[in-house]
Amino acid sequence: MVYTIKSSALLIIGIIMLAWAGLNNSGTIDGMQSYLLASDYKDHAKVMKKYEAQLKAATDKAAVAGEPAPEMKMPASKFDQSKATQSKMSNFFGGAFVLIGLFTLVWKPKPGNLDYFVSVVPGIAYILLIAFIVRWGLDPIFGNLGKAAEGTLGWNFAKIFNLNYVVLGIVIGIIAVNVFRIPAWAANGVRTARFFLKTGVILLGTLYSAAELAQLGGLSVVMIGAFVLGSVGMVLFMGKRMGTPNSMTAVLSSGMGVCGVSATVAAAPVVQAKAEEIAYTIGTILIWGVGCMFVFPTIGHLLNMGPVQFGAWAGTGILNSAQVAGAALAFDPRSIETLKVAEIFNITRVLFLPVIVLWLAAWYVKHEEGAQKVNLTQVLVAKFPVFVLGFIAMFALSSTGVFAPAGHYKGKYFSSSEIKEDKLLKSDETSALQGELDRLRGAEGSQALSKYLTENHVTLGKRNVTSDDVYTALTELAANKKIMTREEDSVLESLAKMDGLDETAKEAIGTAHKAAYHTSKSIKEYRNWIAWLFAFGLIGLGMQITGKALKQAGGAPLVIGGVVGTAKAIGSLIVVMLFVKEFI
Amino acid sequence: MSEQKFERGTNLSIFVSDRREDIAALIFAFAIAFGVLLTS
Repeated sequence: MVYTIKSSALLIIGIIMLAWAGLNNSGTIDGMQSYLLASDYKDHAKVMKKYEAQLKAATDKAAVAGEPAPEMKMPASKFDQSKATQSKMSNFFGGAFVLIGLFTLVWKPKPGNLDYFVSVVPGIAYILLIAFIVRWGLDPIFGNLGKAAEGTLGWNFAKIFNLNYVVLGIVIGIIAVNVFRIPAWAANGVRTARFFLKTGVILLGTLYSAAELAQLGGLSVVMIGAFVLGSVGMVLFMGKRMGTPNSMTAVLSSGMGVCGVSATVAAAPVVQAKAEEIAYTIGTILIWGVGCMFVFPTIGHLLNMGPVQFGAWAGTGILNSAQVAGAALAFDPRSIETLKVAEIFNITRVLFLPVIVLWLAAWYVKHEEGAQKVNLTQVLVAKFPVFVLGFIAMFALSSTGVFAPAGHYKGKYFSSSEIKEDKLLKSDETSALQGELDRLRGAEGSQALSKYLTENHVTLGKRNVTSDDVYTALTELAANKKIMTREEDSVLESLAKMDGLDETAKEAIGTAHKAAYHTSKSIKEYRNWIAWLFAFGLIGLGMQITGKALKQAGGAPLVIGGVVGTAKAIGSLIVVMLFVKEFI
Repeated sequence: MSEQKFERGTNLSIFVSDRREDIAALIFAFAIAFGVLLTS
């Protein structure tokens, strides 16, 4: 059998990509890019303003000295970097696709490995082109529209409905297969989607570390553990009783138990879930999550819950990360205390993913063998998904600090020693801090500070923050012109939210906080790779979801999702009301 | 997609077995991980 189909499609896709790179490099589409890369463009404007001021100063200085105007080059802004990345990717893939496209047009393929692997390329190019459109076009467009509508609606619809590249990718894939059908020349390449998804899942291991788990409070681990394992167990039990396919049950249990969409994607290849089963699970989670986001804050206020209580409840009971953050902010929009607690619980839940994936792998292997008695060890050795071990190995390596600085959180890490000289606080800022220190030490100031710390339950680990902690942190900051420890940073961050604080001092704390946190370049790169692998894999998966297949899947997942979601929400509410007081 | 017939692999994969796909993904992922580590 010859797989390669003679078509000019690959060549055309390559030319489109090269054209995008050309337009990007020449600046022709800068107007459009400033909309699509809105936040990067803000940085560009700042860099440009700073550069122009520096150039003017240098020119004026040279004029006074009677020297010729100096030559200066504007430093690259985030906008320039993002554009350069797009051009680099478009040039690389576009060039490769043009070359292979030309080759396939003149080549006479014969059955064999070369024919097989060349025939995969047009499908990869097809998905990649859609991935470019989704990530560089649709994702930012929906992001911008969501932000623009926030003023009118009061909420960001793009964020709440998860209209990001993950969901958009699947939707575009579904539209592509159901409305336009997959072209014959792309059919073979579309089958690479699962391979790239598996690669993405293994790479996910680089983002987590056991150190993060160790930093979390005991209750969050116990509570999340109980609810994660309980939800997974309940879905598996109900799925068996209701006769849903094992792969459907397993993938739904992961989504309902751990953290929504990413857990679903991670567990899907382990249990050989079909594309429509993944779509059903994601649909169930999103519908449930959006409902919770509106209902949870109302119940929280009715029950007069505190920030720690509500954060713990939302972080346990709501399924998807975006909606956990949405509910926490809806409950307590003025301070981030609730959000911080909810995020701690949310992260703990994500860290249970390896355990659940292992459990589901074992469960699936055992149940998929039918009623026959099988040797579980033998079956596990023969059928266990090796890429799960890859994820665990990557997680273990990540915990040793190989991939990123130890103790990083979402790629950001605290380091006082890495703060550059030009990022130290200026004299007017340290004076403002000293002034605030003197004021807060006075009779009126100390009373106000003490009241603020008590009323807002400002904590440091498991203890309350005292006025002395604040005095020490302010003294150290004013003396060293930078934040020295993570604890002092936490104390100062809480202080900065206090009403009546001098604006310059408040800004100085913000500047010092920003200077002390550094972005791990490797984590940023890993996130980028994972995002592309998932975007590619999910578009390909979407292309395997047909209307016919969805009808066959039936409505059982929604019923199971509803029952387990309700049980989890009510159960976690009871536990929170009984056991969670002021501290985690 | 379900109507397509392939001599090699399955409708969901170009690889002849899941194990082979896993190993290929493993190699690719580790290559990326250490590639990023060396270049960043």
